[in-house]
Amino acid sequence: MNAGYVARRLLQLLPSIAGIVLVAFLLLQMAPGDPILALAGESGDAEYYAFMREKFGLDDSMPEQLARFASNAIRGDLGVSYTQGRPALTIIGERLGATLLLAGSALVISTIVGVLAGVIAARYAGGVRDAAITTVTLSLYAAPVFWIGQLALLFFALRLGWFPTNGMTSPSPPDTAFGQFLDLLHHLALPALVLASQQVASVSRLTRIGLVEELSTDHVRTARAKGLRESTVVWRHALRRALGPVFTVIGARIGYLFSGAVVVEIVFGWPGIGRLMLSAVQTRDGPILLGIFLLVSTAVVVANLITDLAYGTVDPRIRYR
Amino acid sequence: MSRSLFIRLAALLLVLAACTGETGATSTTVTPDDGTTTTRGEGDTTTTQDAGGPVEGGTLVVAISSDPGHLNPAITTSGGTHTASELLYNGLVELSDEGEPVPGLAEDWEITEEGRVYTFTLRDDVVWHDGTPFTADDVVFSFNEVLLQYHSRTSASVGNAVESIEAPDDTTVVFTFTEPYAPLLQQLSVTEAPIVANHVYEGSDPNENPANLEPIGTGPFRFVSYEPDSEIRLEKNPDYFKDGLPYLDEVVMRVIPEAGSQVIALEAGDVDWLWGVPGPDLERFQADDNYGLLRTGVNPGGQNCIMTVSFNLDQPMFQNRDVREALTHALDRQAFLERVLFNQGRVAEAPIHSGIGFAHGENLDMPAYDPDLAAQMLEDAGWVDQGDGTRAAQGVDGVADGTPLAFNFLHFPTFTAYGELFRSQLGEVGADVTLQPLEPPVFVETVFINRDFDTNIISFCNGTDPEIGVKRMYITSNIQPIPFSNSSAYSNENVDALFEQGAQTVDTEARSAIYQELQEILVEELPYFWIVETEGFRIHTAACTGFSASGHFAEAAWCDR
Repeated sequence: MNAGYVARRLLQLLPSIAGIVLVAFLLLQMAPGDPILALAGESGDAEYYAFMREKFGLDDSMPEQLARFASNAIRGDLGVSYTQGRPALTIIGERLGATLLLAGSALVISTIVGVLAGVIAARYAGGVRDAAITTVTLSLYAAPVFWIGQLALLFFALRLGWFPTNGMTSPSPPDTAFGQFLDLLHHLALPALVLASQQVASVSRLTRIGLVEELSTDHVRTARAKGLRESTVVWRHALRRALGPVFTVIGARIGYLFSGAVVVEIVFGWPGIGRLMLSAVQTRDGPILLGIFLLVSTAVVVANLITDLAYGTVDPRIRYR
Repeated sequence: MSRSLFIRLAALLLVLAACTGETGATSTTVTPDDGTTTTRGEGDTTTTQDAGGPVEGGTLVVAISSDPGHLNPAITTSGGTHTASELLYNGLVELSDEGEPVPGLAEDWEITEEGRVYTFTLRDDVVWHDGTPFTADDVVFSFNEVLLQYHSRTSASVGNAVESIEAPDDTTVVFTFTEPYAPLLQQLSVTEAPIVANHVYEGSDPNENPANLEPIGTGPFRFVSYEPDSEIRLEKNPDYFKDGLPYLDEVVMRVIPEAGSQVIALEAGDVDWLWGVPGPDLERFQADDNYGLLRTGVNPGGQNCIMTVSFNLDQPMFQNRDVREALTHALDRQAFLERVLFNQGRVAEAPIHSGIGFAHGENLDMPAYDPDLAAQMLEDAGWVDQGDGTRAAQGVDGVADGTPLAFNFLHFPTFTAYGELFRSQLGEVGADVTLQPLEPPVFVETVFINRDFDTNIISFCNGTDPEIGVKRMYITSNIQPIPFSNSSAYSNENVDALFEQGAQTVDTEARSAIYQELQEILVEELPYFWIVETEGFRIHTAACTGFSASGHFAEAAWCDR
């Protein structure tokens, strides 16, 4: 791949992101519900509303508001949250790490487990193991993630007591850095597994299909005829070529992971972007919502780009110009 | 081979099941019973008695449902912020569990000029958490620059009545009102009017001051740390002006948004205190000795709340009071209590909540459940039975003949159970109700701004005085775009006059008579229908006790484990 291609692709990202944010802005404008009414709760008088609307410039026309948002956003200023009175970017930034950790762990776990499951299913295609893997992964895929999350909480956290029930840290955290790291892993395990469980199916199905196809190709037959061990044939020769599609869907999966993270964060009390988004929707906190849309859409678009580029590395047959 | 795998799988499942059984049995005893006895459900006070008296030290872990965003209760009425920050601050006056004003930052007060002037004497031994002495300047600043600007409830009530707030010396604050103003003492608690530090906020925009995230207050606990959406840590204020309090060393608030997850966290022993539990779980906790229950009229949205049905009086259909009465006869309030609230609350017997003892109406003629009478009254009012269970207009003023008796019912999604029962009970007498669940901000816009509805249900919280949460529903001047105000668009000169009289009368007995007369008019005219008084429930581990229901809920709490 060459630098020109990458630059061109990066340039193409800008209109996509701008488009997504524009749509989000218009949706917010059209959505019923007024942020100042939400802010005032059960009280307030006309004077208070006028005062707050003026403060946030909510009485300006829509084009004016859009222009202000766009020009500020380009300079890295996403505005001030209506509910918290602090810069939206700061508020989002405080929670970004938690979501990246959760979504990233889920991505890694689901990819590794998914590929392993796919390999097993492909090697014993049509057998009991294949059927069992298919059934389990598709069930997890089909079940709503909040339900799986609640079940996991009830069973693994409450009944077995293996995991804490909520949060990212203990109410009384350990003193040493290593202890704190273990504490974090302990809290991360269950939500990450639940979020990953949704995604295992897509990875394992793709791996299985690709591998079954690869295993029937001529070069695999040649490899076997050379007397190579079956595991070498599968892991070294066939799998690499079969993984192409698995990498392709990583980009798309990032989007799903973010949306899944919203639910998982709420069930497990995980302090990330998803929960911030929910409360921002409830209070119509425009700057926060637009900031999150901007961030997530950028992440998905960039992830797709990286996937495309990585594809070339994994499958040598692909060349970009 | 596949057979042996199957057997191994089955064996594994059996082992798993066995494990579950064992740990399930032991984990039900989350907190060992340490000899504390628990009495439940009597009145608004703490339910646990301890033989040994308060124990010093320890950490209380509290579950809160939403991230506070910041910790300045003076610039917002948001329940999330107030729950997380009230322990850090004080008001001039506190309210006892019976709702009586008791000294807070003010140790004494005097009401003169028939209730037009309030003079408060402040304590002289209070220091802010940073060591600076607290003075009357802090109070004047808090009101003039912060509360009357940004605290939407206090700015709308006190702010519209007050003439001046002044500090003649360091320990005296004088409130002067344009007219006699009765409810002031009910509006000075840490919820309605937390006092913030002049030296911290002076000259800044209170919304953007960094101290909102590292607050400095006068309260029983001081700020340690705040991890957004995760936890807030508070520690004991050793210089607290109430001698010997607080007992706890630490209060940790954990943000757990989902109600089901909160219940699980309590059962697993990860948290000690919940602000509320879903109805079905409540019965379970009530029966379990490992938990204490605190029953209170204080709900997240306010105090002394009544689930109230509004009839939009802009609609010709509801302008005939007989039609309104007919519809109220079709509603079985007892069924709402049993099937929606699981008996946790009481049937509303007056427009003003029974929690405001002096103002709560007595022996009012509230429409009783009588579907036959309802049907007859509808028939008489021109809504004629079509023979198929529906009704249509025939000679009704302002309604075209043949118009079906059909209307919508707007409610928060959390109030769906009320909607279902409302629809089925009114369906019995031939009214066709369409439920319309709307998220709070959309509900407010639809009902109070656009007025695009027929009927709705709202949890109107009356507060501790009719001035706070009752008057807003009825006065003519509130027929304008103000959230949670006059939802029915009801207007009656006598009612307006009586509310004015009530606000300006300081003598409690005289006020009682005014509100009694007022409620007799309201029950006669039925601009609303008052269904049930709801209650709030706090659940805590039995090892911790000494709580109150709101505000400084953990000021006098202790844990013995």
